[in-house]
Amino acid sequence: MFSCINLHAQAWQVKGKVIDETTGAALAGATVAVKSTNRITQTAADGSFLIQAAKGQVLHITFSGYSFVEAAVTNADQLVQVSMTPDNKQLDEVVVTGALGIKRASREFGAAAQIVDNRNLNQGKTVNPVFGLASKVAGLRINMYDSKVDPQVQITLRGTRSLSRTSGIDGRNPNAPIYVVDGMPVPDIARLNPNDIESITVLKGANAAALYGSEGVNGALMINTKSGKKGRGVIQYNHTTIFSNVFLLPPAQTTYGQGNNGVYDPTQYESWGPAFDGTMKDFGLPLPNGVQPQLLYAAPSKDARLDLFQTGLNVQNDLSLSGGDDKSTYFMSVQHVNIKGIIPEDKNNRTNLRFNGSRKFGKLNTNYNINYSYNKKNTTPDGPWIGAYRYPANFDFGMVKDWEDPLSPGNPLNYFTSQGSWLRNPYFLIDNIRDQSTQQTLTGKVEVDYRFNDWFKALYRVGFYALSDETRSTVRKFEAPGTRNTVGSVSDGSNNYRRLNGDLILHFNKDFGKISTGLILGNNIRTDYRKTTSIGAANLLYPDLFNPGSRQGELNGSVSIAEQRSVGTYGELSVGYDNYLFLTFTGRNDWVSVLSPENRSYFYPGVSASFIPTDAITTLKGSNILSYAKVYASWNRTGNVTLTPYQLNNAYTQNNGFPFGNMVGFLPGLVNPNPNIEPEFVTSYEAGIQLGLFRNRLNFEATYVYSDSKGQIFNATTSSSTGYNSARVNAGRLTNSIIEMNVNGDVVRSKDIKWNLGFNFSYINNQVKELYGGLDNINNFRQSYGVIGAAFPSLLVSDYKRDAQGRVVVDATTGDPVIAADNTLLGTLVPPYQMGLSTMFQFKGISVGAQFDWRMGGWLYSEIVPAMYTAGTDPRTAEYGRQPFVWPNSVIEVTPGHFEANTSKLTSSGGRAFWSKQGEVQINTAAPSDFFKLRELSISYALPISLLSKQSFIREVSIGFVANNLFIIRHKDNKYGDPEYLYNNTDGYLSFRQVPPFRSYGVNLNVTF
Amino acid sequence: MKNIFRFVIPVMMLISLGSCKKFLDVNDNPNSPISETLPLRAKLPAALVSSVNQESIQLNQIGALWGGYWGTTNEGISMFVDLKSYNGPAIRHQRDGIPVWENAFNTLLYYQLLKEEAVEEGYFFYAGISKIMQGWHFLRLVDVYNNIPFDDALQGTQFPTPRYEEGKVVYEKAISLITDGIADVKRAVPGTEPTTDDIIFNGNKTLWAKLANTIKLRALLRQSQAGNDAFISIEIQKIQAEGSGFLGIGENAYVRPGYLSTAGKLNPFWESYYRNVQGVITGNYQDIRPTVFAIQSYQTRNDPRLEKLYVPVNGNYNGVLFGNPNTAPAYSRVNTSAFRGPQENGNQPGALFKSISQPSVLMSSFESLFLQAEATQRGWLNASTAKALYETAIQESFKYMEVAAAAFTPYNLQPSVNYDAATDKIRRIIEQKWLALNSISSIEAWSEFRRTGWPEIPNSLEAPTATSRPLRLMYPETERMTNNANASAQGSDDMLNSPVWWDR
Repeated sequence: MFSCINLHAQAWQVKGKVIDETTGAALAGATVAVKSTNRITQTAADGSFLIQAAKGQVLHITFSGYSFVEAAVTNADQLVQVSMTPDNKQLDEVVVTGALGIKRASREFGAAAQIVDNRNLNQGKTVNPVFGLASKVAGLRINMYDSKVDPQVQITLRGTRSLSRTSGIDGRNPNAPIYVVDGMPVPDIARLNPNDIESITVLKGANAAALYGSEGVNGALMINTKSGKKGRGVIQYNHTTIFSNVFLLPPAQTTYGQGNNGVYDPTQYESWGPAFDGTMKDFGLPLPNGVQPQLLYAAPSKDARLDLFQTGLNVQNDLSLSGGDDKSTYFMSVQHVNIKGIIPEDKNNRTNLRFNGSRKFGKLNTNYNINYSYNKKNTTPDGPWIGAYRYPANFDFGMVKDWEDPLSPGNPLNYFTSQGSWLRNPYFLIDNIRDQSTQQTLTGKVEVDYRFNDWFKALYRVGFYALSDETRSTVRKFEAPGTRNTVGSVSDGSNNYRRLNGDLILHFNKDFGKISTGLILGNNIRTDYRKTTSIGAANLLYPDLFNPGSRQGELNGSVSIAEQRSVGTYGELSVGYDNYLFLTFTGRNDWVSVLSPENRSYFYPGVSASFIPTDAITTLKGSNILSYAKVYASWNRTGNVTLTPYQLNNAYTQNNGFPFGNMVGFLPGLVNPNPNIEPEFVTSYEAGIQLGLFRNRLNFEATYVYSDSKGQIFNATTSSSTGYNSARVNAGRLTNSIIEMNVNGDVVRSKDIKWNLGFNFSYINNQVKELYGGLDNINNFRQSYGVIGAAFPSLLVSDYKRDAQGRVVVDATTGDPVIAADNTLLGTLVPPYQMGLSTMFQFKGISVGAQFDWRMGGWLYSEIVPAMYTAGTDPRTAEYGRQPFVWPNSVIEVTPGHFEANTSKLTSSGGRAFWSKQGEVQINTAAPSDFFKLRELSISYALPISLLSKQSFIREVSIGFVANNLFIIRHKDNKYGDPEYLYNNTDGYLSFRQVPPFRSYGVNLNVTF
Repeated sequence: MKNIFRFVIPVMMLISLGSCKKFLDVNDNPNSPISETLPLRAKLPAALVSSVNQESIQLNQIGALWGGYWGTTNEGISMFVDLKSYNGPAIRHQRDGIPVWENAFNTLLYYQLLKEEAVEEGYFFYAGISKIMQGWHFLRLVDVYNNIPFDDALQGTQFPTPRYEEGKVVYEKAISLITDGIADVKRAVPGTEPTTDDIIFNGNKTLWAKLANTIKLRALLRQSQAGNDAFISIEIQKIQAEGSGFLGIGENAYVRPGYLSTAGKLNPFWESYYRNVQGVITGNYQDIRPTVFAIQSYQTRNDPRLEKLYVPVNGNYNGVLFGNPNTAPAYSRVNTSAFRGPQENGNQPGALFKSISQPSVLMSSFESLFLQAEATQRGWLNASTAKALYETAIQESFKYMEVAAAAFTPYNLQPSVNYDAATDKIRRIIEQKWLALNSISSIEAWSEFRRTGWPEIPNSLEAPTATSRPLRLMYPETERMTNNANASAQGSDDMLNSPVWWDR
């Protein structure tokens, strides 16, 4: 493993070098410590180190992802050459970034934590770092919603704890974990450069995060950005180009074309015409020059809808510089991301700049970082692709591209259908309806800590997060009669948000023999402020002058200001015995501005314990089979407030055209407010075990968690006959029983070949136990409900009346299926079973990594397809030749409760009115959301060192192939889309408003100088 | 060590507790007023506009299609599909449906809050208006949904799942609420009365009492076939004892908030069915057409309102067939008669479209007069004759539809119009009322058709069976989800088979 070569050197200095045993590459940043002393250093970029040591002392060398190595100092003059073996699961050495950014050994932790390092995070080269976590952490669920060039993230850790949809001034999902970047809680990390991230530690329990305040109730993502290392500076350059293509459109029928009731109609967009016959037919009305456009009345072999979409492009360039000396370190990076969407003209550009630094002044440590991101987005709002679901199969997108030409069939005056809104020419919508946003995010922190003596340290950290978003939505005027008309409008908005967060932390440590103690006392102040302004005109005079100054009618405008503040004091006491038994108590009191003065103060405690039997029990020590074992448990009760500012009273606003000049008219909001809202509380229990087997070659972790959320603050949808449509209440109870498992092991571990397999599993049994008043369900979003006794949210849909065997009852006179009075509960919209499967294969310089995602047991609902029933484009509408038919497997209720099989009674029709009604029966467009997909595939090749050894400029080069979403296996009934592409932050809900799913593949280049 | 604690602990205490209260007192809404900061006069107009918007847009549209006035062109074949095919589940759908229930109960809440505040502050006129308008909406809801919550309704969290009451009971309670409302209006003292904020009657007590009595009369006539005669006669006596009478000539419940030439501030009927703020015709205008039946009904009577209502095509008035699933050249946009507005009428007001700032009609004088005519014919009233009331009603309708007053006499001479010539007087009144309420209070046409079967409106060509007609709306999906135990207890809410209580 290591060899000692005597060299002439100073007696008290030990020089050395750390390399990778497999590749021979120098390892920069490895920690070299002299055992039983507090002397510690890190290796420089070339792997070298210099440390004071005396003869007989032992060097303990650790490096993330490698097995530790120990080397005895046999001679004062020696060069210690250390080869380290990769091993990313050295459990007892894992350092966890705990609450408040304090790093500590995993063994002290009384709750589950999982670390995703830079390499694993960036395997799929995602632009938003959160997507890089998908399926890699047990219990963490990540979905994408409103998926354009800048998709939004839905992230949930360990199940749903809140019935609310948004919370707080930052509008965060109350079921999302808190994001903490270098110790500073921030509302969002979407704009963070994933390459800047050293690692993300996922603290899963509320206990682990209790010290961050209420938002930590769902756990925390502790994000550590990179810092420079002492030694020669390192420059890294990374380039990625990824292409994306649309897939998984819901299938459409290719038998019938445009028309009504079986008769061709050149101006009808719906497919209720005669069967395609291969003749040329008139399409739309004659053009102004008298030419009658024609189309071949036959469905092309290739899905014509795909013509609307283009190949998306995602180009990332990243450059970073880092380095340091004895007293200071720096890390600088710049990233540029350029995205072209799968919808023509959709684009997003992002530039990120980061500067991290640290400097020591004797006992005073300072470190600071600043991150600036500039994101410019230009998209067309929901629209152009919606028509594609509803147009006939022979529609020719190319024919209508040139909408500006007055003689083109694409011109709005000539367009074949005069229907407005989403059915206008898609290219017209793309060119004329635009949303632009320029978002600047500035985050920074300054941290100073002063070590007064060896047992007391004080730290003050102040951080800010500022977001400025300038938006502009424009609709270009096109004057035409009726629905062909497009009114010009403009709306300019600005959204300014800032957060200031300050923590004062006193940190005491003292060991008393075998007993170690630690005490943290802290105080936190947070202020959040948001101001949104919008000004606009709904009727512009000129097509190309987007300014409210040239308008007709009145000016639109609104301003909204919101402010939220909180103060917290907290403490943590930890006691350890002989480094194998640990006990930690936490407590925090918060005072928040969004509650009434009587209710604004609340306290929440927690306790956790961990025990390392492999260290405690002599007979277990040094075993080659069970190398490491840890058991842990915790309890805590965490308070949470999911209100946004000013929700205690009913705000009155002017609607319906008011004010009409001097005539004012105010209406109350329709959420019944409650001034006496109190904090809700989540009680969690957790117990787990962690095992390292066969010298930590196989690692296993299992955790059981139970959480009980009581007194939920939520909007209970109530009957409109109460006057209000919902009531804000402190009621409702949700429980989660969760099993999480992680298995990770090296299948092959040889000099040249390494093959690692990882598997994570979580089962979440979420249940709504209580709701408000006598309600047995509440509406979450459309078909998504909270139902007592079922998981939240669950899918509740309209269904046919059925007999005991589930056969559909048809009306004895009409032959049409009868719609049941009550809706049917199909099941949870959140897959209770989630599995992630990872594999990493390395052979010399080649490495192949793949991440599979498997989710089972949930349901989805598509609102894309009902409209396709009405438009006659759904394949089912063509199944019976558009004729009346006997509803399959149906019965007739001959006498009440007595059913007989229906073999001859035909439906009333097989046309539009009939199928449109079936589209409304929601069970027809629901399906299990099970899927198995290859989420990420990365193949890379690192040039052999020997190739680069002739020069000293370039140190490492690797090239690779990267792909996302390469294949997906769905449940056979799911013909609707990708179950993880959600609409409006709602689990299991697919909409025509979202861009269809896409898959992507590309190339990647890494160079280190 | 001691020094540190001496410094740090007090600082922490200070930050956490001392200045805490002031630091945290930032929860007063800087954006919107709350109820306490708004006087009643800032709230009443919004509630009244909310009422009339539902009446003149949402209900008017359902009524115009189901009451025989409107159909669509070939090009508009996809419009109003749910209403054409009597698709109950689609109409009750929480998102794509027609939220009659939700809008009405929300509006009822606006009046509930007004009423509570007005009673507390002694502003009885406001309380009275609120009760009268609440009565209006409860009656409408019964007409559409039959059994609905009344006593438990509008109590917020006190009754989160309001109990339903029978349609008949709600009718009686709503009528009684309106009676209370009249008393409240009359006992208001000067200084507490609304002025310009009463955008219907500008604080005129008598006109409010007349409107209230007219609403009650409509509700009593609605149950003419329901065998509730004793109740009717007691209530008629109450109306007569009150003494203000009903809306008469020139007395219209018009809502005038002061419509402006800005998108969203135009008269909503104009903006929805005629032209937008640019003056461009709307999609509705393009494709909504009178039915062949409506055109024929005016033509067989040589009715002068016809040419004020519609634009001829090559000299002919051409209608469409309601719910026609087929297209034929005769029913295309260009071959059928659109509404006639000022642009098609030499910049003179048309029968329905007059200007962007025309008032919205809550209840017209002619509807009131037709109601009085029927009540008189039935022997419930005797202040005037049924014939005189019937003729005045037609004259008021002519006035509204911009027909010259002189045209009335020849019109009235025709046996098809003349009251004396009618064998079935009630039928004559109902049919003339139908001609007058066209696109103005169309929901009444559907309700009166359900009560009387007149006029004999052809069924939708997309009806599930030739004889099935919409008798009600299903309880909305939102109600099924939030108050299902109560909604289910009301029995079938099938749109085609379960009539409301007064429809026998």
